[in-house]
Parts: sequence; structure tokens; C-alpha cells
Amino acid sequence: MVSTENPFKINVPDEKLELLKKKLELTTFSDELEGAGREYGVPLTDIRRLTARWRDGYEWRKHEALLNAELPQFTRDIEVDGFGTLNVHYVHKKSEVVDAIPLLFVHGWPGSFIEVRHILPLLTEASSDHPSFHVVALGLPGFGFSEAPTKKGFEIRQYAELANKLMLSLGYNEYVTQGGDWGYAITKLMAVNYGQKHSKAWHTNYPIATAPTLKDRPLAYLINLVSKLTPEEKAGLERTAWFFGLGHGYSAEQSTQPQTLGYALTDSPVGLLAWIYEKLVNWTDNYPWDDDEVLTWISIYWFSRAGPAASLRIYFEANKAKPNMFLTPLPSKIPAGHSYFPKEIFKFPKRWSNTPNLVFESDHDSGGHFAAHEKPGELVGDLRKMFGKGGPAFGVVPGKTGYA
Amino acid sequence: MRCFWNMTRISELIPVQNSFSHTSTLATMAPQETPFQIAIPAEQIALLRKKLELTVLPDELEDAGREYGASLSDIRRLVTRWKDGYDWRKHEAQLNTELPQFTTDIEIDGFGTLNVHYVHKRSDVVDAIPLLFVHGWPGSFLEVRHILPLLTESSPKHPSFHVVAFSLPGYGFSEAPKKKGFELTQYAELGNKLMTALGYNEYVTQDGCWGHLVSEYYHPNNRCKLRGEHSNAWHTNAPMAPPPHPISRPLLFLNHLIFGYTPKEKAGFERSLWFRNKGNGYYHEQSTQPQTLGYGLTDSPVGLLAWIYEKLVNWTDDYPWDDDEVLTWISIYWFSRAGPAASVRIYFEVNKAYPNLLEGATSKTTIPMGYSYFPKEIVKLPKRWLRAPNLVFESDHTSGGHFAAHEKPKELVDDLRKMFGKGGPAFGVVHGRSGYDPQSRL
Repeated sequence: MVSTENPFKINVPDEKLELLKKKLELTTFSDELEGAGREYGVPLTDIRRLTARWRDGYEWRKHEALLNAELPQFTRDIEVDGFGTLNVHYVHKKSEVVDAIPLLFVHGWPGSFIEVRHILPLLTEASSDHPSFHVVALGLPGFGFSEAPTKKGFEIRQYAELANKLMLSLGYNEYVTQGGDWGYAITKLMAVNYGQKHSKAWHTNYPIATAPTLKDRPLAYLINLVSKLTPEEKAGLERTAWFFGLGHGYSAEQSTQPQTLGYALTDSPVGLLAWIYEKLVNWTDNYPWDDDEVLTWISIYWFSRAGPAASLRIYFEANKAKPNMFLTPLPSKIPAGHSYFPKEIFKFPKRWSNTPNLVFESDHDSGGHFAAHEKPGELVGDLRKMFGKGGPAFGVVPGKTGYA
Repeated sequence: MRCFWNMTRISELIPVQNSFSHTSTLATMAPQETPFQIAIPAEQIALLRKKLELTVLPDELEDAGREYGASLSDIRRLVTRWKDGYDWRKHEAQLNTELPQFTTDIEIDGFGTLNVHYVHKRSDVVDAIPLLFVHGWPGSFLEVRHILPLLTESSPKHPSFHVVAFSLPGYGFSEAPKKKGFELTQYAELGNKLMTALGYNEYVTQDGCWGHLVSEYYHPNNRCKLRGEHSNAWHTNAPMAPPPHPISRPLLFLNHLIFGYTPKEKAGFERSLWFRNKGNGYYHEQSTQPQTLGYGLTDSPVGLLAWIYEKLVNWTDDYPWDDDEVLTWISIYWFSRAGPAASVRIYFEVNKAYPNLLEGATSKTTIPMGYSYFPKEIVKLPKRWLRAPNLVFESDHTSGGHFAAHEKPKELVDDLRKMFGKGGPAFGVVHGRSGYDPQSRL
């Protein structure tokens, strides 16, 4: 049955902390154009302030201890076809409710396992009023403290295979998934490759859609033709256009020359900080980032087992295996759920949705891309509605309703 | 086809600028020039060394080759050399010996005064043709190094040139603009003002990128006839033009439908597609979030090295780069007056000013134009797409890439000599400056 779990505590070696400090002390800052604001990228004032804090004042050991206290972590070797064994780092917390619903949470880039932090206590909380979950939050290979693949070609199919095997190895033969960003792509593929047998339902806060065409969805196309865009829909499309027009450069580089970019992100703390922080600001809905909160997020990349450069390769591999895979709907047969947050980087009119078996939708009037971090109450509220008594996916995992 | 900013559609704008501003740029004599020698402060060299000593390198996938970006073995070797062995002072001295450099203040409308660094070498031939050489990204004034002696060489058999190669603002040892919005118009204004300030009221230009498209966007109503009041002719080794289109280029479109493409042209398409699908990530980032990128390039020598070195390899035609040659090229960025982050802003400014740069523009420049075709240029279009009434000179080469002046100096200079020499299509285009000594005229 389930083999014993190997507990893991984050414990970054002292030498790495010292090296970081030495580098921070030698930081060379660029200048900035007058009145640049955020138009050209991350403002210099933010970077100076964050770098100064990272150098003097920010205490990694304190935050490392908090993470270890809050998040029960483990590692496990998982074999992936053609890639050998990868040692995977994950968070695993069981609810007191024996029949809680097993839920796999999958992060993306520039996220990590840390994104489960705010939702974990809410998901596992026992109550007669709502279902609870046993939660597994995996650190994707090449991110956080998971080993990275050493061979070329580790793309979405491999991430999905690894994630499924992890759940099975923990005794969760049937489970549901929640994911955004790359987590969306991975759990979408899991819904197809392991759907019904293992993955029983999937929920995303990153629902992608494409405009219906006469050929692929004639009815939706006609409806779309005669529908006027609401102000929210218009704003959503403008947001999407902003993302493709001005917010997509990182993806173009990461999808084509990740190694080239990787040198700067590996060697320069401020280079890494800026590269990620820009997303933490631009992709959230005025989330009031605390400087130490940002620095912990970035430090996980800086101190990651495989280094920051490894985390970029998913873009290259996924793009090479299947360009435009985000936009391609897949023929999954399991129930699906969408949560819509206004500042997500892709936002489409709901009637464009082409997710099969969409049984749950929920709108929000605030929140962005990192929904689990920004809006934990709302996101968990949605999962409780979708999977709870009276919900459209209640009892989808046989024998595990989520209630005592 | 997505356009990329690679410097110097400036050349096309220069004559235009004249129409607006020639009254303010009347210069009679060459002014006193302020000589400049590169002399990087010792503290900067020491800091570079300290940073190199703390370099942390990423890993690499097995058998990655160059498919994922600059290869780890190359970068590791170059970093090691940069740290121990590469002698900046030696190369600095060589540059100062080979390239006569100067600085001057140029006023740019709306941007105040910028102190501009440039190379200026006159030929012994008094009536040599004034030529402005304009570099791009990730290049610099260094790119004039190999062609300078050939261009200024005097001979009765070929024309010679007085050469000015300036560092674009934000590059090399030129000051960078401080305000937003410094785009092609401003670069053109600066290039023109520099030439006229040096007493070259009429001149020709040579650059390594783009086509007529920008000037087209600059003059949507063709309100400025480019008479070449200052810039009289223009040569590029990176020609571009919009593709055949049923409405904007109908004859070419018909031609495209009826006639096939030669193997060489097909290879060119593949090269162009490679660039578009794999090679322009840098362009997307630089044209949208240059400041974000700039922090890493400013703080990390290896980060900067990799970012540029990838282009030095991918954009050239198996050019046998010497490690010290690479490191000198990169060091100019590292030690640049404005820092490396300033150099990428031009992509943002141009993309913002001309968001639809490549769509539908056809050339309306009228000054004589010359194209040199090198097979490994990053955008390679069939010649019939590039033809224009004022294209008076074309030259094919069987090797060479994007950095033609550096890779193929002799071939490039030969082309210029043919274009501007006796019997050439642009001979005598600059009044009174044929490129020859009077005695050598027939």
C-alpha cells in the first residue's frame, strides 16, 4: 500500500546564505528614465528598496522556519517514463475528516509550492457545513525543492504522469485537482490521460477560451455574433490584449532561449528579483505585497534545488511539444469547474468557454492570477461549493464526500 | 512578418530631418574636435573582477547544444577567461590606437544636450566621400574597426571615404537620453547634426539593418520628398521590405503566386522563420519590459555575456570568434557610460512610436540605395520583394551574416567601392567629393 513518507524540512546551507549576501552587497543598479513609472518594467525605487531589505533586515531563517511549521513537507522518488527517477518535493496535509476529498494542487511559473500556504488550513478544516480535503501540493520538477529532469523533452505529458503517480503512491487512487498557470495545463491533460480512472474532476482559476468559430462551435458563434460585450467582458479582453501585447516578452524568451536567460537569473539576485516581481505586481489585483512576503517568494527560487534556470524550461519544452497548447481544448470527460478573477491575465467572455463538462462557474469582482495566494477564502469557497453537498461535483470521488 | 529593432532606419530618416531642420544645421567648417580616449576607472575593473569571482552558473540539460540558448561550456570558458587572463587594459589601448575617438555635445529637440562619442577618421584623399556608419544592437562603434582602414585607404583604383562612426546614445561612451520617447526621429536628428557639425553637409550612410519601412511611417503622407539635402545615398547590409500583398503590393503578389522561389530564396525563408520562431524572444522583452530585463544585465557580467554572445554566434556565419574578441565586445557594454540597461530601451521606444512598423509600408525613399546580401542575415527576403526604383546597387555574397562589417569587412567595403566608385551607380553623389584625388580623375 502506501509506502512511508519521507519528511522534509527546508534547510538552506549557510554558505548559500553567505553567498547571497555577498552578491547583494555588490549589486549594481541600472538607472531609469524620468517619469518611467511601471511602463518600462519594474520601477527602480521598488528594486532598490527590496534589494536593501534582502541584504539587511530580511531573515531567511525566520521565514524558512515558518514555512516548515505551516507546511508539512516530504520528498518521494517518482519514476517517469524515459526520464528515470525524480525526487519530488511536496506538501501533504490530511484533514481530520477521514473521508476528506483528496485534492492535488498544482502551481505554475513564477509560483511554487508556497502558493498552497493560504488555502491549506481552509481546505483541510473540518466542518459539517462544508466539505474538507486532504491536500497534496506538488513542487513541479525544476521548481522549489524538487529535482529537475536532466534530459530534454520533459513536457506537460511528463508533469501529468509524475503528478498522477505521486497521488497514486500516496494511496489516492482517485482525486480531484486544482490548478492555475502551468497547473491548468497539467491538470487539463491529467483530466484526459487519467480522467475517470484517477482524476475525477478538475477546477481551475485560469480558464482559457478561444472565440467560437462557425466551424468549431456554430451555435456559440452565432450567439457571440449577436451578443454585446459587457463592460466586464470588454475589460477582460483589454486585459488579455495587454498581456499579449506588452506582458508576453518573458514567455517569448523562456519558450525559445531559456538557457540564455537562465545565466542572469542564476547569477544575479536582483536580476531574478526583478524578473519575478514584475509578475507579482502586474498579474495581481493590487495585492498588498509585504516586502518580506515578496522576498520569501523569490528566495524559494534563489535557493531552489535546481536553480532558477531550470524553472524556465517548461516553457521551451511545452512550446516545442505542442505550440499553443494552452489554447487547445482537450476531450476530457470529467466534471470541470472555473473560477473567474478579474485581473487574471487571460479573460474571455464566459460564452466562449469550450471546456467540456463545465459544471461549475464562479465570478469574483477582485483578484488576479495568483488566486490561491490573493483570494484564499474565495477560491476555497468555490471549491466547497463545487464539491460540497448539493454541489455539482458532490461525491465525485466515491466514498470520499468530504464530510465526517 | 514581425519586425525587429536592430538599429538604423536612422539612415533613412536623416534626409527627412533635413527638410525640417536644415536651417539650423548649417555648418561651414569642421569644428574643433574634442579627442577622447577610453580609460575605464580601475574601480570598475576591480568590481567586474569581484563579480566574476562570485559567478554562479546554471546547469544544462544533457545534449542541449545550442538549442536552449548559449551553451554552458562556451559561457563557462568565457567567464573563466574574463576573470583570469583577459586583459582589458591591453584591448582598451588597442582600441584607442586604432580608432581616433572624440566626443561632442549635440542638442536634440525636446531632449536637451547629449554628449556623443564617435570615431572619426579622415582619408588622405581630400575629396573623400563622407560616410556615416551606424551600428545597432548588440553592436557598438567597435563594428567599424575592421572596415575603417579599408574605407579610408587611398588609391587611384577605388574611392575612399572620410568615416564617422558614432556610438548611439545609450551605447558605448555616448550619453543616454534621460527622458522617455527618444526614438528613430531623434537618432536620425542626432546623426545628421553630428555630420553637419563636422563639416559634412552632404554624406552617405552605411548601416546594418531594416528597410524603408520606418521612413514610410515617418512620412505617411509622403509629405517629405527625400531629396538628400544632406544624406545623398544609403547602403545597408540588412534590407527589409513588406511581403507581397494583394492590395499594398499587387504586382509582387501576382509574381509570388505565379513564380516559385529558388533554393537560395527558400533557405532565406527558413532563416527568417527561424528568427521569427526561435530568435526574437529578446526583441519581445526589450520592446515591452526593458527595465525589468536591464537589472540582470547591469548586475551580472555572465548574464550580460550570455544575452549578447548568443547573438554573436546565432547571427553570424560560423564566424571564428576569438574569446578575447568576444570579451572586448561585451566589455564595451559592461563598461558603457550609461550601462547596459540603457541600450535596450530603443526597442521599447521604437515599438511604442511605430507599433505597426512592418505592415504595409512600401518604400518612398528616393535617394540612391544599395543592398549587400549576406546569407546568414537574420531576415532574408527574396530580392524581388526588395526591389525599388531607387535601388541602384545590389551585391550577393556566399558567406557572412548580420555583423557584416565585422565578419566580412573586405566584401562590404568592396561593395561600397563599387557602388560609389568611378563607373558605379552612385558615383559623385556627394557634390565635389568623388572619393578620388583630382590627379586620378580621368
